[in-house]
Amino acid sequence: MRTPASVEDAPPAGRRRLPEAGLALVTALIVAAVLLRPALTGLLTHPAAANWATIFVAITIQAMPFLVLGVAVSAAIAAFVPPGLIARLLPRRPVLAVPAAAAAGAALPGCECGSVPVAARLVSIGVTPAAAFAFLLSAPAINPVVLVSTAVAFPGRPMMVLARLVASLAASIAMGLLWIALGREDLLNARGSSGAEPEGRRLTRFLATAQHDFLQAGGFLVIGAGAAATLQTLVPRDLVNSIARPGPVSVLALGVLAVLVSLCSEADAFVAAGLKQFSLTARLAFLVVGPMVDVKLFALQAGTFGPRFAWRFSLATFAVAVTSAGLVGWWLL
Amino acid sequence: MSEDARATTVLLVGALMIRLAVGGAYAKYVRTGMGPLLLIAGLLLAGLGLFGVVRALRHRGQAASPVEDAHGHRHNERIGWLLLAPVLALLLVTPPALGSFGVARSTGVSVTSGGKVFAPLPPGRTVPMTLLEFDERVADHHGTSLGTTQVRLTGFVTPSSDAQGFRIARYQIACCAADAVASVVRVTGTSGSRPARDQWVTVTGTFNRAADGVPELRAVSLAEISTPVDPYE
Repeated sequence: MRTPASVEDAPPAGRRRLPEAGLALVTALIVAAVLLRPALTGLLTHPAAANWATIFVAITIQAMPFLVLGVAVSAAIAAFVPPGLIARLLPRRPVLAVPAAAAAGAALPGCECGSVPVAARLVSIGVTPAAAFAFLLSAPAINPVVLVSTAVAFPGRPMMVLARLVASLAASIAMGLLWIALGREDLLNARGSSGAEPEGRRLTRFLATAQHDFLQAGGFLVIGAGAAATLQTLVPRDLVNSIARPGPVSVLALGVLAVLVSLCSEADAFVAAGLKQFSLTARLAFLVVGPMVDVKLFALQAGTFGPRFAWRFSLATFAVAVTSAGLVGWWLL
Repeated sequence: MSEDARATTVLLVGALMIRLAVGGAYAKYVRTGMGPLLLIAGLLLAGLGLFGVVRALRHRGQAASPVEDAHGHRHNERIGWLLLAPVLALLLVTPPALGSFGVARSTGVSVTSGGKVFAPLPPGRTVPMTLLEFDERVADHHGTSLGTTQVRLTGFVTPSSDAQGFRIARYQIACCAADAVASVVRVTGTSGSRPARDQWVTVTGTFNRAADGVPELRAVSLAEISTPVDPYE
């Protein structure tokens, strides 16, 4: 583990002495916003701009409760769980810790925005990264809330729920094992997962860590929401209808669509249910890929673990998730 | 980002969420059932922000530099500024509910295969119905269950190249506006000029089996209305 204060992470001394933009700037922005409001109402008269703004705000707002949950769990681990306890609870050998951590993902109800801060916290308290990544990938896909919403979206098709569970779990474990085989710690950027205040009372530490993690993850969530809104506004979704034919191409196509539209994992089953022109296996790929790789998740991962890690990890995860969905779909559906 | 700016940002996000949840404006962006969740998240964030503001005020007297200086990762928190973007967007322009721009671009609801089977509607009274149910009933045995019963539909006008009549649409959302898919119904039989694009209307009429298979309502009455509180189905 690298400590957050490692020398190479520190900014150049000259930059650090810049005066901090503070409360005055926040206040000025808000006051300016209120004063300029009448002048800016015409901004959204173009339907594309309005569409973008609505989706941007919608993704951000929709993710907030889950982000708050994830940040609370992350801060609670930092403040209230004795150091080393979670690492001791997991099997010592990484090969066994990975499936255990992937299965533990079922315990975090919520969507993918919440699992990133928790996984980052796990890495920072000494859990083997392979296990933390297995948890990161499995939690948004196999928790009870998501499985129930999948069952509701696909009435009369319980195999869809089972296939999603099996394929997501298999892909998470495969990614954990892949990290053991190929992963390099130097790809990880540990500073994002630092605790804010090591000193002080536990409650103070909990609140300070929560604030730090929320601003960190929330900022990257905003980038991801903006990117997803842009793609949704510019790329017509019915583009993919043209490749709705049986075979591996449609599986890949819905995998790519899941990356681009960045849906919440609690809602993606309802969209998948509506994509009736696609085979069940292709729709399974949509449900397996979405919670593991998407535009907003990439922004969150890049901010938390570093962009060099996020690129490699997202590409590998996409390949593993599509393969897993294809195999499980061929077997179960 | 200085400590008081960070705390204020968290407080602002929390306050905004509370305002959206209490005022009901959140229904333009997310499913109505999410209101309580947003309220809880907003209250927690506002509390967290208040704690930070109080702490920052207390620290101000003691030391000139924020606590984080010793850890050398303060620069990384500049990203937190971005959280003000949705706050400003909502304060400045308050984005509207999704309109007709996305109808042609979103994935259409395919109700043709594996659809539900419906019991016939009771005759002799007007039945309010979602556009999705209307489309599903049309897909089930060519709309037999609709019969000649009058139904009432509410949606916004969306552009089409139809020779006669116009189309109305309404989105279904499962979680937020990002996952919206639209149901579309063609309305014929109205007199006068067609309503403007994105105008919300309530139409009463009976099902008409169209030659091209588009679900069609032959209207007997049409009323322009203001945007419903929950613009989605």
